[in-house]
Amino acid sequence: MTVLAPNLRRDSRTMEQAAAKGRSLWDDARRRLFRNRAAVASMILLGLFLLAAIVGPYLTPDHYDAINKGDVWDPPLTNGHLLGADSLGRDLLARLLVGLRVSLAIGVVATAVSLVIGVTWGATAGFLGGAVDELMMRFVDVLYTLPFIFFVILLMVTFGRHFLLIFLAIGCVEWLTMSRIVRGQTLSLKQKEFVEAARASGLSTRAIIGRHIVPNLLGPVVVYATLTIPGVILLESFLSFLGMGVQEPLTSLGTLISNGAEEMDLAPWLLIFPSLVMVLTLMAFNFIGDGLRDAIDPKDR
Amino acid sequence: MRRAFGLFLALGLLAGLNACGPQKAIRAPCPHGSVCLEYGNGSEPVSLDPPKTTGTWEDRVMGEMLIGLTQNDPEGRPVPGMATSWETSPDGKTWTFHLRHALWSDGVPVTANDFVFGLRRLMDPATASQYAYLLFFIKNAEPVNAGRLPLTALGARAIDDHTLELTLEHPAPYLLEIAKHQTMYPLPEHAVKKWGDHWTDPGHYVVNGPYKLAFWRLGDHIKLVRNPLYFDASKVCIDQVDFYPTTDTIAAERRVRRGELDLDTNIISNRVAYLRRPDQIPAYVHVHTYLGVTYLVFNTHDVPALRDRRVRIALDMSVDRDFLTAKLARDGRLPAYTFVPPGTANYQPVAPPIWASWSFARRQAAARELLAEAGYGPGNPLKLEYKTGDTPEAIVGAAALQAGWREVGAQVTISQEEGQIAYQDLRIRNFQLGGASWIADYNDATSFLELQQSQTGAQNYGDYNNPVYDDLLAKADNEPDAGKRAAYLARAETIMLNDAAIIPVSFLVSKNLVNPRITGWVDNLTDWHRVQYLCFKR
Repeated sequence: MTVLAPNLRRDSRTMEQAAAKGRSLWDDARRRLFRNRAAVASMILLGLFLLAAIVGPYLTPDHYDAINKGDVWDPPLTNGHLLGADSLGRDLLARLLVGLRVSLAIGVVATAVSLVIGVTWGATAGFLGGAVDELMMRFVDVLYTLPFIFFVILLMVTFGRHFLLIFLAIGCVEWLTMSRIVRGQTLSLKQKEFVEAARASGLSTRAIIGRHIVPNLLGPVVVYATLTIPGVILLESFLSFLGMGVQEPLTSLGTLISNGAEEMDLAPWLLIFPSLVMVLTLMAFNFIGDGLRDAIDPKDR
Repeated sequence: MRRAFGLFLALGLLAGLNACGPQKAIRAPCPHGSVCLEYGNGSEPVSLDPPKTTGTWEDRVMGEMLIGLTQNDPEGRPVPGMATSWETSPDGKTWTFHLRHALWSDGVPVTANDFVFGLRRLMDPATASQYAYLLFFIKNAEPVNAGRLPLTALGARAIDDHTLELTLEHPAPYLLEIAKHQTMYPLPEHAVKKWGDHWTDPGHYVVNGPYKLAFWRLGDHIKLVRNPLYFDASKVCIDQVDFYPTTDTIAAERRVRRGELDLDTNIISNRVAYLRRPDQIPAYVHVHTYLGVTYLVFNTHDVPALRDRRVRIALDMSVDRDFLTAKLARDGRLPAYTFVPPGTANYQPVAPPIWASWSFARRQAAARELLAEAGYGPGNPLKLEYKTGDTPEAIVGAAALQAGWREVGAQVTISQEEGQIAYQDLRIRNFQLGGASWIADYNDATSFLELQQSQTGAQNYGDYNNPVYDDLLAKADNEPDAGKRAAYLARAETIMLNDAAIIPVSFLVSKNLVNPRITGWVDNLTDWHRVQYLCFKR
């Protein structure tokens, strides 16, 4: 007994020190994330892209839908077109910035929509369990069987083509996977001691989901959300490629690439620059997502 | 799902890279010793039953199998087909056709009754042919088609097995042109009666033309083989034709370059100049004036602003045709300020509006003034929606139109729809401004001008209704003298243009990509090139 006593004291001392430093799990995660060079570089690049997408369109000399009748298919660095001009003589740089803005906006908003629906749905199903869980997850299964393209075409035919519909359509489909991931996590979380404790102390189900389950889900959710954004951007491009994207003269990365592909042997710059921006954006998001996963969940390495 | 998609993308990229390298042509198998033609037909036929079709791509196939009273010569002009000679009554209202002794591909003789049967089937309300109106110049056709008269009342009669008499409502100088059209093919009554709607299946399809139907798989190809019983079979060179639905024009262009296809019936317009470069495939490119026009229409039915002629003229003036044709389409099409294409038969060209010769800046200034007079300006901008198809060409065209209108103060938004749906919306007036194009059914000015006749209905998208115009067209219909008739039509067109019933934009060109090994191909106004006249260089 006497032998063990000093050890106990030392333990309590280290705990006090740790509390003073305030080093939480999240601090560890941040530290690990910032040690990941690819993720840091991606964050810087994405930050620049974000800035360019937000303020860029106000700074370009040409408006994105201004037609210059004399500048049809001007190659890069001619007539003041840094990246060249398209078949209507519109400045590619201006269009690229607007396209980037639209694509990023769709990516972020659709992901946010899927996040809200998916987390609520999955956490509720997982925590309540039993028949409610069965019912809710079978509903998800049914939605999964809906062919996405048919769903989009159906939406377009019924409501006409609208910018917001693309957000809606993608958001409506993307939350399904999210809800499954969240449900799985919740199932394991609700067996944990602190949930038992909360329940024992008489907290309502809603309070437990809101205060204990959801915050503990944050890790996997953040990781998945970061990886969803590029998926959504790709999906929007895919729709644009099929001609179901945003309406002219507004544009998105996918629309630009689709138009560029049509004219690639006549005006290659119309394909090269939008594709380059698209690839860099997607890669950056994926690196950040990977970095976050490694940082938040070290077991997964 | 996402992973699978990424994989597809990677595979697609690999395939794309692979396509850059030299590739061996993968031609469809061709029986040894036969001459086969691989034909890029642009689209998939909805049907091969003549009264149930409306498309040129359908007639490109059907017209190789069925021959009307007249048929296309290599230059797309009417020459004797099943009829060898004909007479017209002095008033131009009765035509007598003498038929040749020809056989259907199953050995049954082709008789005048087969023509009468074909016409009655077209006009039968039960068939619900969209194209029946084209032959309303035949006596009683309209009431028969509406179900008010029996089929037997139609002005088509078999005097004997080889003499056909057509009675008309009014003289139709274009009858020989229209006699080669898909609405006037004879139909094998015995086969249609036996098989019903399935008479068009391979194996049932009985023909009187140079080829018969051997195989049809939807979305894949249609195979036609030589009909040994065709009356001119000895002059036919090609033994087998495969028609492919080449909706992806760029892909079809690559297939023609590789020799996988021998020809394709479309070229993306802004690629014409590129393909004509000496290092590309200049010998393949066939561009020719065509009996087609692109134009814009106004919904005067639902949009009060568009009932104001000043608004319509202002929108008309601010369309920069030179930019749209020379810079954007750049395929040789001409800017249009009038509606009927130059070169149309029975037509005398009319003068364009005075402002057509003004500088574009002056036209824009005038348009701004007109809009201001009509009560629109910076405080109260004109707001409209422009509906168009979703081909890349239509979309950039729409963006150019939109920019032009914005410069004179009209705020126009663009709504792109799938092509068929966009036309459907025009027909049901679910649009404000619309983009349309029209290809002549037969080489005559009325094929264009009747679109704006008040009784035309759905296809008179702008609901243009001017009694003077209708009256002039009716007078032209009843005028046996070609010169006077052309003068009536010209006056009608001038009035219609003066009312700005529509905005003509460009006169189309036909664009074909044809392997130079093919002989017998003659570029022509109607863009008909029958396979029976084609052959390969040895």
